Amino acid sequence: MANAPAPHDHAGAHRRHTNPVLVFGILTIATILEVVVTLFHLPQNVIVPILLAIAFVKAGLVAAYYMHLRYEKWIYTAIFITPALFAVFLIFTLAVG
Amino acid sequence: MSQTTFAPRPISAEAAHANENRKFGMWLFLSSELLIFAGLIGAFVLTRRNAFQNGLEWWEPNAFSLALVSINTFILLASSLMVVLGIEAIRVDHLRKLQRYLILTAILGAMFLGGQAIEYSLLIFEEGHSFADPFGTAFFTLTGIHGLHVFVGVLWCLMTLLVARRGTFSSYNYTTVEIFGLYWHFVDLIWVIIFTVVYLTN
Repeated sequence: MANAPAPHDHAGAHRRHTNPVLVFGILTIATILEVVVTLFHLPQNVIVPILLAIAFVKAGLVAAYYMHLRYEKWIYTAIFITPALFAVFLIFTLAVG
Repeated sequence: MSQTTFAPRPISAEAAHANENRKFGMWLFLSSELLIFAGLIGAFVLTRRNAFQNGLEWWEPNAFSLALVSINTFILLASSLMVVLGIEAIRVDHLRKLQRYLILTAILGAMFLGGQAIEYSLLIFEEGHSFADPFGTAFFTLTGIHGLHVFVGVLWCLMTLLVARRGTFSSYNYTTVEIFGLYWHFVDLIWVIIFTVVYLTN
């Protein structure tokens, strides 16, 4: 079949993907870490940025490895990152400010 | 050994192009959803700040509710892992494995909703919160809309499972599963932020 494409996949299909179980492990440990951090009675202006930073790293891991943004076309990253930056700015400003 | 019901057949170039367009559309949809949730989370944070500044009654999660929500967070993260493993399975034509992972995803999604129902019943019937107080307004709107997204995701997962049972998907054609996966991971991503903002930074 002349115009039949190769098995469906996107750019970078043949690149080795990070083990999803490893990503799940990191996400679980980060969640436990977040809960543990709240047990220390630190001042709000210290604990809130720490917790938000961990949460945004977790969200980044989900987007990069579970939603495959790391291996996808740059346009998908641009579409998603642009409003994400606004969202991060909004939440960080309101929560910390 | 391949577990496909039917031998995988290549799709046409037109179909492959259409699949790319569907994915593109999904990313546009998710970016708009992201802004909706940013607004809702921002509204929650502002309502909370306003309540504290004006000495209004607010809510503090107790050990039980924090444990319940932490378990729920773990359940949603696990469900995302099931979707990833399902997509990896269909990439190598393991259709049965995909079906198993989709079933697990739907079960975990339903468990999350069950946990949320328990949490709501405790807040409403034991702690006496309602939509009328500032906490109730901000909390139920944000988590309720997220829960609605999980509910839609569970239904979508079951529909994808039905299509998978017909043997439609293969290593050549699994964009439908990928698009469902994008939605499900997005719901998970939003919960990661809600968990921190609503429950941990209170």
